[in-house]
Amino acid sequence: MDDMDDIDDIIAEIAVDNTPAETRDLQDLTRCWVAERIAPEMLAWPHDVVDRVLERIRRQIELVEDQTGSMDPKTNFKLIVVQTELERFKFLVRGFLRARLKKIDAHPLYILAQHNDSSRSGDLNPLLSPSEYQYLTTHQSLLSAHYKSSFLGQFPASLQRLDDTTGGVNMIDRPDEDAAVFVRCLKDVGDLAIEGTGSSVDIKRGDVWVVRWSAVRRWVEAGDLEVI
Amino acid sequence: MALPLPPGLTPPEIAFICEMELVTIIPRQKLEELRLLGGPLKALNPPQRASIPLWLALLLKRQRRANIVPPPWLSPISLHAILDHETNEEDAFSPPPRLPPAPTGNALVYSPPFLQSSTANAAPDALPYHWLEMGEMLLEVASDDFEEPDIVRKFLRGLREVRMAKLRKGVEVLDAAGGIKMNGVGAMELGEARSFITGVIDGLRKISASKEQQRKDREREERENGYSGTQDYDDDEMDMQ
Repeated sequence: MDDMDDIDDIIAEIAVDNTPAETRDLQDLTRCWVAERIAPEMLAWPHDVVDRVLERIRRQIELVEDQTGSMDPKTNFKLIVVQTELERFKFLVRGFLRARLKKIDAHPLYILAQHNDSSRSGDLNPLLSPSEYQYLTTHQSLLSAHYKSSFLGQFPASLQRLDDTTGGVNMIDRPDEDAAVFVRCLKDVGDLAIEGTGSSVDIKRGDVWVVRWSAVRRWVEAGDLEVI
Repeated sequence: MALPLPPGLTPPEIAFICEMELVTIIPRQKLEELRLLGGPLKALNPPQRASIPLWLALLLKRQRRANIVPPPWLSPISLHAILDHETNEEDAFSPPPRLPPAPTGNALVYSPPFLQSSTANAAPDALPYHWLEMGEMLLEVASDDFEEPDIVRKFLRGLREVRMAKLRKGVEVLDAAGGIKMNGVGAMELGEARSFITGVIDGLRKISASKEQQRKDREREERENGYSGTQDYDDDEMDMQ
């Protein structure tokens, strides 16, 4: 049996090596997009995958611009295929970015705090991309300037804050971390305890589970589970 | 520009993902090698079979430049066997296709739609994750590539009904903790049931939130005090306090 497993492992390694980098990035980006569409919290900005894909899209657009106008029907059909795929990639990237923007709009102050934590701790993957960070801070300063000039300015100074956490009520809205999500197991995780309920689940490769996000977040970030 | 949609995937988005699945085609025209964004596409030489993404296969099929070879699980015999299994087994879905060998180390793990579960070499005895969308799309665009498209259509409808009934029945086991195993569920079925299932779980959780918070605090306290967390208190007693 061990021998069989060894052979399987070797085959798996070869198979992975044969897969082109483009296909792996496509799978990666698709996974990021689906996770961002479903998970209640913002996930770290996958800068390397996005950078590579955007660079390829840029080159492909150049190629299309270069070759349009050709009268040869063969080249024309090739271009149709290339452009169809280009549109699919653009849809994917756009969907991914828009899903992130939605979260930034929904919980700006909470995400800003999380981003600052992640960049302060020297994390290699900060939560937000530079443009997202710029969008968030500019949008927030516009909003607070607007609030201030329209009504907040007339309040007593102690009531003017938008991020007050005193008095037992937190003004900073946060996403529902315990929201239920569907996950698929990519690598055996084993027993996973769900805090506060006393129940635990045994997650094996290939399983599909409905669990709360807070219980599986760590494994999703590590790539052992994928959100579906 | 933010996305105005609730969490979860819409049916068009699920179909979009399904279109990344590889299918086998028999090209009728030559097509030179192409460097696509999702990996290079090998040259198509009729009548040599090739595996290409579904979106491209549908494009070629619509322009009558290729024929699609339906995956083996979409044959009437396979569907009949799977439907029998689904009808006899009352509590679970039929098992998904066998997984490829486990990857070693930090290798990227593949999952649908990148598992080649719908090519001509796919397993004939199991429904892959994207079975419903794949079947519908192939029947819509390439029904003339099936031997008996109407029978396949009928089986797909039957399967869908049996499985949706199971999904609805499964609602009875939902509770606040979540932790429900749903192996073999399909992408479209999941998309359809997602908001209901997660809605019920989240709703139940909110109802019992205070009880859960008490328990969480107690568990943390025990951990800090060095007690083993296995002692069982009666939950009802906690409520009385």
